[in-house]
Amino acid sequence: MVLNPQNEELRELTVAREREDTTFEAGAAIAQTSLWRDAARRFAHNRAALIALFAFVLMVLYVVIVPFVMPYDPNAVDFSISYVNPTWAHPFGTDEFGRDLFLRTALGGRISIGIGFAGTVAIMVVGILYGAIAGFVGGWLDNAMMRFLDALYGLPYLPFAIITLAIFGTVNFWTMVVALTVASWFTTARVMRGQIISLKENDYVRAARAVGARWYRVLFRHLLPNTLGVVIVFVFLELPGVVLGEAFLSFLGLGINPPNASWGSLAQDGYTQYLSHPYIIVIPSVAIAWLILSAFFIADGLRDALDPRTQAAA
Amino acid sequence: MTALLEVEDLRTYFSSRRGDVHAVDGVSFAVERGKTLGIVGESGCGKSVTALSIMGLLAQNARIVSGAVRFEDRDLTRLSDRELEDIRGRQIAMIFQDPMTSLNPTLTIGLQLTETMRRHLDLSRDEARKRAIELLEEVHIPNARSRLDDYPHRYSGGMRQRVMIAIALSCNPKLLIADEPTTALDVTVQAGILDLLEELRDQHDMSMIIITHDMGVVAESADDIAVMYAGQIVEHTNAEELFDHPEHPYTEALLGALPQLEDETVRQGRLTAIPGRPPDLVDLPDSCRFAPRCPYANRNDGCTARTPELRELRPGHLVRTAHPASERQGAPSMAEATR
Repeated sequence: MVLNPQNEELRELTVAREREDTTFEAGAAIAQTSLWRDAARRFAHNRAALIALFAFVLMVLYVVIVPFVMPYDPNAVDFSISYVNPTWAHPFGTDEFGRDLFLRTALGGRISIGIGFAGTVAIMVVGILYGAIAGFVGGWLDNAMMRFLDALYGLPYLPFAIITLAIFGTVNFWTMVVALTVASWFTTARVMRGQIISLKENDYVRAARAVGARWYRVLFRHLLPNTLGVVIVFVFLELPGVVLGEAFLSFLGLGINPPNASWGSLAQDGYTQYLSHPYIIVIPSVAIAWLILSAFFIADGLRDALDPRTQAAA
Repeated sequence: MTALLEVEDLRTYFSSRRGDVHAVDGVSFAVERGKTLGIVGESGCGKSVTALSIMGLLAQNARIVSGAVRFEDRDLTRLSDRELEDIRGRQIAMIFQDPMTSLNPTLTIGLQLTETMRRHLDLSRDEARKRAIELLEEVHIPNARSRLDDYPHRYSGGMRQRVMIAIALSCNPKLLIADEPTTALDVTVQAGILDLLEELRDQHDMSMIIITHDMGVVAESADDIAVMYAGQIVEHTNAEELFDHPEHPYTEALLGALPQLEDETVRQGRLTAIPGRPPDLVDLPDSCRFAPRCPYANRNDGCTARTPELRELRPGHLVRTAHPASERQGAPSMAEATR
């Protein structure tokens, strides 16, 4: 006797709810997936992100493995083979000094990607700490810290990095990392502050304080782990910026010193001969674009995978 | 023996752009050991702010202007943050309205349960875990042992509220403040939670404050009831007396707005709503705060000129009105007045 199917359904639901809550033989028999497995499944269904991940891994493998297997000295000068067009012996050709570009691009990639990752980690650490403190403490401190950040935002990116390098007086891997971090941690700090502020209003934070949790426990146990999803996405959003910034500085001749090279300085080498030997500038440029695009698509896929509520677009 | 908790003339104001919001304005009450006090009132009457003032968990723009919160002869309003942290969770615990958001989604139930115990009691990891299982069993979570390592999203709303209760009870507090403990739950689950609270109150020999807008909730579980209106207590007496002989027009109106099934002759047709809105808590009138909505106001008894004092009409029955039900002569009843 189903007079009103909707009502019937509702009653069944309530009965089911009630059973779960008030009678106690029912256990947790339903197979469930964890948050991370869920996210991985969603990521795997995102074709663009998967291709990007494959491309990213391929690039990393290239820069890691090639220097071990190529039989050339990356810095040996041999003018008899300068400007060799790409062949099987030299897949990417050679430069003015007869150095193999397949090998040098891989070595340059090590520096570019290395600076990219180191810079990103540094940006995350600085940005998360700054943003979390501002957002967590709030009040006048938050205000002061954010106005300071606004002032820094007003300064252009490049001069900031150049001035930092000038202060160090020397350019190497680590000073580059510091310079790029100093110039680009602002956005992370802002986003983290926003995250912490919105998380701080959560009932479970109040509940934690209601059972006497001290501030550091609230911050490190209850707030920061909840920002992990955002942090992971931000790693892949910041990475391209750092790689690009490093390439930019190196292209202008402010980066890594010769004979070492990064993708930016390799592109700079090819810049003068771009009419006669275009591959010299094209190859490192493509490498930079390859890395940046794949990182962006990975970030995009991760964002969709980690936040199921914004899945509508997929 | 003095009462466990004595709140005396508590005033908590929020600063806003327009001036101070008088959220709690001179509230006094006492909670005896082993008893339950119900605080009833509509949204924004200051009942939650009263609770948060006791706990010292007020928002940054709120401050306790005056008054005392004496808990076992210590004035909680004068304690430092650190001292308060040691009391919260250990001596006074609180459960909140929405169990769906009161548990941290990134931590397991077991961790959130043991966290409090390890904070306040000197327990090892294993001991805390054992106790956590006992607690989950005590609040009737099935298969407690295996569900300890689950994340909150695998628990239903009612079960999460049970976990919140277990967390609140984990250190055997002397006072449990339940702020709208059943409001966010299905009707079918509400009664179970209320029964559980009462059962645990007796087992653990606690006192309880239940804050609610639902007269039905306090009718079942409270010994004493304080009715709040616009930041003040307007009527305070034991539960039986309040339901049998309500004196304040607002209490009468609240009871009139309660649907009843048992007795068809008492109330037929539409529920009586209370006309008007509560006063602006920034710009309070000099009159009785309920006067604009009160059917008995404007009878030359001065209640539109000044705020009536809380007076003891009968032993143990406090009321703040110029015309309590028992002193009215030929006055229209609330239902007639609003018709």
